[in-house]
Amino acid sequence: MIEPVELANFFTVFFSAASVILFGAGYALLFAWSRVSARPRLMPLAYAAYLGLAASVITLGLAANLFNSGFWTFIVLLMLVGYLLAPHAVWHLCVGTHTDAPAAESVKLTQPR
Amino acid sequence: MAALGILDSANLNGGQKLAVKYFTVAIALFAAQVLFGLLAGLQYLYPDFLYGVLDFSVNRMLHINAMVVWLLFGFIGAVYWLLEDESGVPVVGLALGNLIFWVFTLAVVAVVLVYLLVQVGPGELKSIWLINEGREYIEAPRWADIGIVVCVLVFFYNVAATFMKGRFTGIGGVLVLDLVALAGLYTAGMWYTPNISMDQHWWWWVIHLWVEATWEVLVGCLLAYGLIKTMGVRRKIVETWLYIEVALLFGSGILGLGHHYFWIGTPEYWLAIGGFFSALEPIPLVAMVVHAVFDAGHHKLKSTNNPALAWMIAQAFGNFFGAGVWGFMHTLPQINLYTHGTQWTASHGHLAFFGAYATIVIAFVYLAVQKWRGNVWMSGELVGGWKWKWALFLLHVGMLGMTMALLVAGYEQSQIERAIEGSGWMGYFAGQAHPWFQQGMVWRMISGWTFAAGFVLLAWDLMTIGKRESRPARSVEMREAPAMA
Amino acid sequence: MSQTQTLWWASESFWKKMAIWITAASAVVLIFLTFDTVAKITAGGKRVPAYSVINHRIDYVFDEKRNHQVPVIGPVEPLFGKVLSEAEAKDLVSKGKLTTQAKNCMNCHTLLGNGAYFAPDLTKSWLDPAWGSKEVREQLMVDFLMDPSDKLHNALGRRMPKLGITEEEARATVAFLKWMSAIDTNGFPANFKPIDQADAAPETAPPPVESAPVPAL
Ligand code: HEC
Ligand code: HEM
Ligand code: HEM
Ligand SMILES: [Fe+2]
Repeated sequence: MIEPVELANFFTVFFSAASVILFGAGYALLFAWSRVSARPRLMPLAYAAYLGLAASVITLGLAANLFNSGFWTFIVLLMLVGYLLAPHAVWHLCVGTHTDAPAAESVKLTQPR
Repeated sequence: MAALGILDSANLNGGQKLAVKYFTVAIALFAAQVLFGLLAGLQYLYPDFLYGVLDFSVNRMLHINAMVVWLLFGFIGAVYWLLEDESGVPVVGLALGNLIFWVFTLAVVAVVLVYLLVQVGPGELKSIWLINEGREYIEAPRWADIGIVVCVLVFFYNVAATFMKGRFTGIGGVLVLDLVALAGLYTAGMWYTPNISMDQHWWWWVIHLWVEATWEVLVGCLLAYGLIKTMGVRRKIVETWLYIEVALLFGSGILGLGHHYFWIGTPEYWLAIGGFFSALEPIPLVAMVVHAVFDAGHHKLKSTNNPALAWMIAQAFGNFFGAGVWGFMHTLPQINLYTHGTQWTASHGHLAFFGAYATIVIAFVYLAVQKWRGNVWMSGELVGGWKWKWALFLLHVGMLGMTMALLVAGYEQSQIERAIEGSGWMGYFAGQAHPWFQQGMVWRMISGWTFAAGFVLLAWDLMTIGKRESRPARSVEMREAPAMA
Repeated sequence: MSQTQTLWWASESFWKKMAIWITAASAVVLIFLTFDTVAKITAGGKRVPAYSVINHRIDYVFDEKRNHQVPVIGPVEPLFGKVLSEAEAKDLVSKGKLTTQAKNCMNCHTLLGNGAYFAPDLTKSWLDPAWGSKEVREQLMVDFLMDPSDKLHNALGRRMPKLGITEEEARATVAFLKWMSAIDTNGFPANFKPIDQADAAPETAPPPVESAPVPAL
């Protein structure tokens, strides 16, 4: 079911697991901020953070021997796709749930695409 | 209404009068938690310190039990705090609620005295009934378990009946259902079995399904109310988000239980389930981050109670880092094989409990003192406002310092003791003696003292904040009455 | 932002339903799995052995197919020289388990990796090479549990305290520890080096001349 991590890969595993989530947060944060403050110039940075996330996921997959089995490879793919789409989905939800706000309350928001 | 700035219970509604009692005991138990944490931490550095008098096991048990109980008291207080406001009617069984508060508090005192003075018993069922059950976090002896269940049932009755009599808001509905689950789960941890696998299997139902499911949702309810109060966010939005959170948290958290079923004798399929849901668990946290940024853009962070708002923001970050980042780092079975039951776990446990739960209780206590003093000003340029800021700062520096120190120690431990030495007795001590570990323990203590200093300042601030204020609180416009659901 | 109508996928009622359905579905799956798991971890099964396993030698050996160590039940090697029935064994292990609870072992040690981190993991303590040899192990464990305060084993000076454990409780605790070491934990702890339990010599050959290594006590 699982193949334990090699000693030499210990640091890589912990570090990449942490960076998955940190890049994920960075991506989500930059993505949301770019949209909320209408600063499209931030968007490339957000995707750069996603690239960092993707690199971390793959590094984690290699170091933790996840590619040696179909199931764990699937988990890696799930993370790659899921974390890419999650901020988009959540953003749409934010906009969607705030649409019926009275005009006085709403601030200028870039429209979702 | 009494003069501004003076603590006067006439400023509070019935439920809130009861709430401040719970908060008072909660903060006292928080003090106990810090004290026994310091003693336990010192024993890592000076093993003969209190050896045979207050052994590590006793200090640690008091440390984590004080934590569980102060957080529960804080939650109960917070629910009583919002109950009348939210339901629109006075608490139905307030007198009973008061009685139960005293029963509960006395029971806690009795349990603590037995822990301190009796400590251990003979290897018989009698000890489990009367002294302690020896099961981490839920050590309370069985008589106390039964007492806790009774107290929680009365509390539950008060909450459900009050909502039923008044209006059942969305927050109220989620809260009531969540409390049923929370209380029901506790009973999963009350039974004796000689089978350690079975024992731990059910034990995790309590621990994991509390902290990663029912407590998270409870806090979601509290935050929803807090956001309406401090920032005037519209109820419909807040409640929709509460449902979204419930869906995401329960959807990932309930089966996320699998990450505790890797090594305790449970079947191999839990490796896959635990791995899968571990990958999902960050999703609700990402949702909270995006939503928080969205809201910050929306409401410009103008609040009626800056300390409470600051602690609520701290909650968002603490939950993200403690549960999300630190949780994910050790949750895949390939990794957990080596980190399981090391200082790594302690690092995660500290940051997660503090970040996700201590913070929100502190936020509510700030809301409470504000109103208790006649709804005084607690926004910018507060008289003596340095105290809450420094308390917040020191508590965070202390907690982060402890977390990092334990992380370094845990990293070394999983490598030396676990991977190389294979977890034997001598391997364990090879890991413990390593300079990284020893220095980690030193830094944990330094950070622990910093945390304790922050706590003292926090307690002082809670007693005095708003005392010399004569301005009334900034008002947030409530845009609509709570919707009936 | 002039829209006034809420989108269905962003509406309160939609998410209320989602919350209920997702929670219910997860709970149902969990309950199904729980039935299966509880059946598989009931003592007497393949993963969690019957209590009378303490009548046998227990080892922890690498399994090629599963790619980690697994407990192996060996020849009869009764604890304290006495073969017990399943009921007797259960009583003894239960007494030991009660002792671990009443003495709060889990607030210093981990069992199956859960508990506190102040002292070694006890999952395989029955198999720990530090007990010296399998001949002396049982008695050393009993002695240690009854009074560890003068039996320091590490350079840090971190001693286990005397917890008022009686001889009866200590023996029961050893039974519990032996039984626990036979649980299939999916290879946790990894890379553990168990005590040598091979028979000293084949039955026909004379006993070896050199004496067993002196235990480090
Ligand atoms: C106050 C903390 C504490 C408590 C409580 C405690 N122990 Fe220990 N235990 C230790 C320490 C520290 C050591 C390491 C002693 C040494 O190296 O000299 C130890 C060592 C051991 C060992 C040998 C380690 C090994 O890997 O085989 C066993 C077995 C053991 N304890 C069993 C128990 C049992 C059973 C209980 C409960 C009845 C218990 N302990 C309660 C602290 C504790
Ligand atoms: C606020 C939420 C959380 C809190 C308060 C919390 C707290 C804790 C605590 C105290 C422990 C140690 C239990 C013990 O004493 O044995 C623990 C263990 C663990 N937690 Fe969390 N946790 C939270 C969320 C998470 C999340 C989101 C994840 C995964 C992504 C996670 C993964 C784990 C794992 C894998 C362990 C087992 C560690 C081991 O094997 O020793 N936790 N948690
Ligand atoms: C002065 C500050 C503190 C110190 C010195 C301290 C010290 C300790 C020590 C020594 C342990 C035992 C760890 C072990 O078994 O090796 C422990 C456990 C624990 N503490 Fe603290 N602590 C402090 C504050 C806190 C706070 C504020 C919280 C949460 C709100 C907390 C939550 C926990 C938890 C959950 C555990 C159990 C961890 C686990 O089993 O993984 N502690 N603490
Ligand atoms: Fe968990």
